[in-house]
Amino acid sequence: MFKSLFAFRKPLNRRTDLVLGITGFILFLTMWEITVRSGVIRPEFLPSPVAVVQAFVNLFVERNFASDIVISVSRVWFAFLLSVIIAIPLGLLMSTYRFAGAILEPFVDFVRYLPVPALVPLLVIWFGVGETSKIAVLWMGTFFQLILMISDDTKRVPVEFVESGQTLGASNGQIMRHIIIPAALPNMIDSLRITMGWCWTYLIVAEIVAANSGIGHVIWSLRRFVKTPEVMAGIITIGIIGLLTDQAFRYAHTRLFSYLRR
Amino acid sequence: MDNFIQIKDVAKTYWSNDGKIETKVVLPLSMTIGEGEMVMFLGPSGCGKTTLMRIVGGLETPDQGTIHLHGDLLTGPDRRRGMVFQSYSSYPWLTVRDNIKFGTRYRKDISAQEKEEVTDHYLNMVGLKRYADFYTNRISGGMRQRVAIARTLASSPDVLLMDEPFGALDAQTREYLQFQLMDINKAEKKTTIFVTHDVEEAILLANRIVIFSSRPARVVREIKVDDILSIEDRRNGTADMDRFFKLRAEILELIRAEYAHTLEEA
Repeated sequence: MFKSLFAFRKPLNRRTDLVLGITGFILFLTMWEITVRSGVIRPEFLPSPVAVVQAFVNLFVERNFASDIVISVSRVWFAFLLSVIIAIPLGLLMSTYRFAGAILEPFVDFVRYLPVPALVPLLVIWFGVGETSKIAVLWMGTFFQLILMISDDTKRVPVEFVESGQTLGASNGQIMRHIIIPAALPNMIDSLRITMGWCWTYLIVAEIVAANSGIGHVIWSLRRFVKTPEVMAGIITIGIIGLLTDQAFRYAHTRLFSYLRR
Repeated sequence: MDNFIQIKDVAKTYWSNDGKIETKVVLPLSMTIGEGEMVMFLGPSGCGKTTLMRIVGGLETPDQGTIHLHGDLLTGPDRRRGMVFQSYSSYPWLTVRDNIKFGTRYRKDISAQEKEEVTDHYLNMVGLKRYADFYTNRISGGMRQRVAIARTLASSPDVLLMDEPFGALDAQTREYLQFQLMDINKAEKKTTIFVTHDVEEAILLANRIVIFSSRPARVVREIKVDDILSIEDRRNGTADMDRFFKLRAEILELIRAEYAHTLEEA
């Protein structure tokens, strides 16, 4: 049993994977609790895990935290889907027609390297402090990354797949629909999963600046009162949502693309 | 029909990325291939034999010259010339059967019902009925190549183009598929261009072997294998071994001489 845990570059069974994953969390919590009890760090800076859980409950009971979560999740998904529906066609176009790639790639690369937080003041000037500017921040952070990832995913479809389609009599449109998209889809879904994670990163940037709702707003406003347990509870909430979203994507991936399993 | 495929003065040059260095891949070259003929393109690696076959397939454009099929001038790729690649080109998101059925997808000459029948016919021909519902990354490399061959045949091309289709397979599988291809060829009499660098494979399968020089490709020698060893004898394993080894030695010598040129150039 113990030896099988250290099998060189071999997979473990699902149950062991799960147990180890949970063990990681438990170890982290234990060390945290020990640190707090030792009294090395003042509780204003590092509250105990129990205090954080207490704060987490309080957030829901006293501050209507659930509605903030709903708002944040909606913002993330709205901006994410807006990125996806524009990035997928453009990414396909870029990888298919060299002229589209030649026009878009240098520009996309330029924008992609602009730090999103630096764009926030500009976006607020343009769109005000309402929902639009928040969506714009999230969109800026994901769209330009996603378009290149989609383009790369489709470029990686083996040339033999395309050429065999041509010699089987498929038109260019049929090759796109019947060969390139199905071939690239597993990698595209992975790209979406990764981009979704970035969307959550930029959510906090968006909600810290001029917002009166959302998880980021809650975290930022409680900071002023040094409510460290609540701040940590807010951060952990994002972690949990992120973890669940990621797992949902992975689950969908293995279900949709079961043919990739050997 | 002796000039089923007519290759006339075809030449191709590649340029380096900066456009300064030119590499002549195929010199102006003419050749005819008869209907139902199995022609093996043999030559040192990188000699341009694959390029010439890809030009016939419409996947590369020649700088000059023309290809006619049955009197029609050929331009881009289409269903008249089916291609089997060296790498596994079966689609991983489709089952074995659906891969083969994909070959019939763009045919307008047969009904949906006939497409099912054609699919089953080729599924049986390549001996994969038992694996019909398997996805292709759960079957072996040899089986995947059979899927690719069946898929191409299901599209009913006039010409079968095979680019070292057995190159990546182990010796036993390769031999098995070579004999399977001979059976298919007997049943279908499909005009085939088969690119290989394996001399024995060429002798085993060919009606005619075309031996190419090192790059740029020109024809060094054509050998009508049928005149030396009958196809039946080869298929049944009753071929005269002395003749076989003599032919093999002769071809190897030709290729060795050409390969030496490649090294001199480098």
